[in-house]
Amino acid sequence: MQNFAITVKDLVHRYPSGAGEALVVDDLTIREGEIVLVTGKSGSGKSTLVNCINGVIPHLFPGDSEIDQATHQGEVFVHGHPVSKTPLHVLSTIVGTLLQDPETQILNYDVEEEIAFGPENLCLLPDEINRRVNEAVRVTGIGHLLGKETYKLSGGELQRVMAAAVLAMTPRVFIFDEPTSNIDPAGTVALLDLMRTLRGKTVVIVEHKVERVLPFVDRVILMDNGRIVSDVPSASVIERADEFASYGVEVPEHYMYAKKIGLASADVGQVVSEMKKRKMIVAAVSRRTPAETVLRAQLKVFDGNSSLLDVRIALGKGEILAVMGRNGAGKSTMLKAIMGVLDRKLRGEVRLNAFGIELGNAGVAERGRYITYVPQNFDLTLVSRTVKEEVAYSPKKRGLKDWRTKVDNLLEMLSLTDQAEQDPLALSFGQRRRVALGSALASDVRVALLDEPTSGQDFSHREALGEELTHLAKMGYSFIVVTHDARFVYRHCDRVAVLSEGRLALDGTPEIVFENSEKYGVPPPTEYSLYRELSRS
Amino acid sequence: MILYSLFENVLSWLFVLLGYATPLGIIFGLIGLTGFVEITRFEKGDSFYYKLNPVTKIVIGLVVTTMSAISIWWVGAALTAVLALSYLTLKNGVRKLALATLLTVSTVVATVQNFAPYTAAQTLVQAMKTKTLHGIWTWPAYFSFMGFQHSLTLEAVIYSLQISVRFTSITLAALILVLTTSPSGVLRALQKLGVPLPVTFALVVALRTVPRVFDSIEASMNSQFVRGLGSRDPSFLRPLHYARALISSVIPVLVFMLRGAKNTAISADTRAFRAYPRRTHRKPLAYSRLDIVTLSLLVSALALAVYAAAHGYGRAIPYVS
Repeated sequence: MQNFAITVKDLVHRYPSGAGEALVVDDLTIREGEIVLVTGKSGSGKSTLVNCINGVIPHLFPGDSEIDQATHQGEVFVHGHPVSKTPLHVLSTIVGTLLQDPETQILNYDVEEEIAFGPENLCLLPDEINRRVNEAVRVTGIGHLLGKETYKLSGGELQRVMAAAVLAMTPRVFIFDEPTSNIDPAGTVALLDLMRTLRGKTVVIVEHKVERVLPFVDRVILMDNGRIVSDVPSASVIERADEFASYGVEVPEHYMYAKKIGLASADVGQVVSEMKKRKMIVAAVSRRTPAETVLRAQLKVFDGNSSLLDVRIALGKGEILAVMGRNGAGKSTMLKAIMGVLDRKLRGEVRLNAFGIELGNAGVAERGRYITYVPQNFDLTLVSRTVKEEVAYSPKKRGLKDWRTKVDNLLEMLSLTDQAEQDPLALSFGQRRRVALGSALASDVRVALLDEPTSGQDFSHREALGEELTHLAKMGYSFIVVTHDARFVYRHCDRVAVLSEGRLALDGTPEIVFENSEKYGVPPPTEYSLYRELSRS
Repeated sequence: MILYSLFENVLSWLFVLLGYATPLGIIFGLIGLTGFVEITRFEKGDSFYYKLNPVTKIVIGLVVTTMSAISIWWVGAALTAVLALSYLTLKNGVRKLALATLLTVSTVVATVQNFAPYTAAQTLVQAMKTKTLHGIWTWPAYFSFMGFQHSLTLEAVIYSLQISVRFTSITLAALILVLTTSPSGVLRALQKLGVPLPVTFALVVALRTVPRVFDSIEASMNSQFVRGLGSRDPSFLRPLHYARALISSVIPVLVFMLRGAKNTAISADTRAFRAYPRRTHRKPLAYSRLDIVTLSLLVSALALAVYAAAHGYGRAIPYVS
C-alpha cells in the first residue's frame, strides 16, 4: 500500500439527499508522481471521487464527528493514511486541493496573506511561514503579484495564487478540481505549465478541457454515473476516442481522425500529414451571412480619465457573434455598456441603435424591449417560484397580450414543459440555463447578450447550448456571446470579434479571425487547425 | 367630510411610503450597490487609521458604542460629526465621506420613520421634560400597531433624531475598522481579544463576502429591470420597484452565495483551518506609540463619560434619577 500515493478500496458514497450511489469504486490505485486526468460528464462522480481523496468526504460532508456507514463505506488511503480516520488538518498537509471558482476560494485581502493562510493554521513559526510563502511564490512564478490585492486579480492570476497557497502546505498529492473553468486560455496555459513544475508530485486533475490537458497527463480515468468506466494511459485515448465521446467527453477532433486512420500519434502535424496523404478533407462549418443589421453600437467606457473600452460593433439578423479576448479585455464591459448596466463608477458614452431605434440615451427597461442580457451567473436571474412564472416574467411585466401562448411555445422549444411547475433554482445546471435564456427571450426580444454561457460546462452542455442558439438563430434571433471556448466558437458561431485592451483587434468569420487570434490570447482550436491545413492541400 | 377623509388617507399613506422610500432612494439611487462595496471594502492606505493596530480600532468602536449609549444625545452627534470628518483622512477620503454622509442621512431618516410614530407619549413626556406634545399628524385607526396609536408629534421627531445619532456614530466607527483593516488583520485582532476562531473566521468571510453579495444583488436586480420590471409605470414609483427587485433578489442571491460557501469551506478546511484553537501569524501584531496614545485618549474619554453619567451629567436617559 505504501508504494501507491492513492489507494481506493471498495468505496461507496451516497449523498444524504440522493437516491442512489453517487460513487462506487472497487479498486483504484495511483502511483506516486503520476499525473492523472479524471474526466466525464457533469454529475458523473468526478468531484465526489476527489473529495473522497482529499477528505472533504466524509469529514466535511456529510459530517465530521461520526461517519455515517449508511452513506459512506470503504476506504481511501493517501500515502498510507486512511482518509476517514485521519483528521482533515493532517490530510491537508498530504493532499492539496485547488477548486474551480477562484473567487470563492480566496479568503484574504492580499496575495501574501492568502499564501500564508495554511501555514498559519498549522501554527508554524513566522520564519517558517515566510520561507514557505517565498518558496511557493518562486515555484508558481507569481513574484510580480506580491503586494497586490486579491480582489483586483484576474481569474487566472487568482488560480495561480491559490495554487501557491496550496503548495505552501507542502502536500505530496495535488488535486485540481476543474481549475481552468473560469479562466482565459492564457491563464489556462499558465496553470497547466505549473503542473510541469510539480513533476515528482502526484497530481489528480478533474477537467472538461480534455484537449488542453491531455498533453500534460500520464493516465486518463473516465467516469460515468458514479463509476469508473475506463482507466487508460493518455496515449491510449486515441484508441478509445469513440468510447470517450460516447460518454459525452470532449475528445479532440484530431484524435477522432487519428483513430479513423489508425495512427497512434496525437500530434496534429502527423495527423494532418497522414490525412493529406490519404486525400481526406475536413468539411467547412457553414456560417450564416445576415441580410440585415439589427444592432449597431459605438461604445466608449471610462474609469475616471482612463479609457476602458472604445469599440464599434454591429450584429446581423440571425447571427451568432462571439466576443473573445483575454480576461480584462473589456468583453463583459461591452455587454454591460450595450445593456446600460455599467458599474456605477464607470462612465459610458454609448451610441446604440437596435432595429432602427436610437437607444443611446434610453434606460435599462427601454433597452430591454429590444435587447436582453443573461449574465454569467444566470442563477441570479431566477427570481420566480416556478419555471413557467420565470419565463412569463418579462411578457407579463411588459404587458404582452398573448403571453401565455408565447410562454408555452418557449417552454416547448427549450424542452422545459415537464418542468413548468418546478422551482427553477432546483433544476439541473443545463435546465437552469435554458430557463434563464427562455425568460430573457420571452417578451419577443430578438437580440440576446450572453456573458460566458459556456464557462464551467462540460462538452455535452456546451454542444447543447450551441445547438439551441443555432436553432434560435435560424428563427431570426441574434446573439452576442462572450466566451473563452474557441471550439464552441468554431463549431457554432458565425462571426468572432476579438477584443484586446478595450479595442476591437479582429472581426470576421472564425476561419479568418483564428489565423491571427493567438497573439491576442485566443489560441485556435485544433478543429480549425485541421480545417486550415487540409483545405490548403 | 368624505374629501377630508380621502385627503387624510392619501397623506397618511404618502407619509408612510416616503418614510420607507427616502432611505431606499438614498441607498439605491445615490449610494448604489457599487457605493456600498466601496464603503465596506478595505483598501490600503497610509494615514492615521491605517497605522493603528486593529485591536485599537476595535477599542475605538467599543468606546464610541459605550459613550453613545450612556451619554446625552449630543455626545453621539458630536462623535458622528468627528468620525465622519475623519473619513477625509482615508484613501479616496472625499468619496468615502460623501458615501458615509449619505449612509448617515438614510440611517437617520429610517430611524425616525421607525421610532417616531411608535414612541409612547409617556416616554416623550419624560424624555423631553415637557407636559405638552405638539401633534403633527395622526394616522387613521387601521394604522395602529400592537396597541400603539399611530401618531406623530414634534417631540417624537426630535426624540427619534436624538436616538438616531447614537446609531450613526456606532456605524461610522465600525466602518472605520472595516475600511482600514485587512480581513486577516481583523482575524488576528479578534483572536488576540480571545474571540473563538470559528467566530472570527465567520466574520472575516462575511467581510470578504459583502462586496460579492452586493455585486450579486445588483446583477439580479438589473436582470429584473432588463426584463421589464416597472417599465409600464411612472418614474416616481421607481423606489418601490427597486424595493421589489431587491426583495425578489434575496432567494437567488442566497442560493448563489450558499453554493459558493461550500467552496469557501472546502478551501479553508483543506488548508488546515481549525487544526488548532489558535493560529500563528507571519507578521505578529505590534503596538506602536500611536496606539498607546490613542488608547490612552480613548480610556480617558470613556472614564469621563462614565463619571459624568454616574454623577447625573449628560445622561442618555435624563428622566432616570
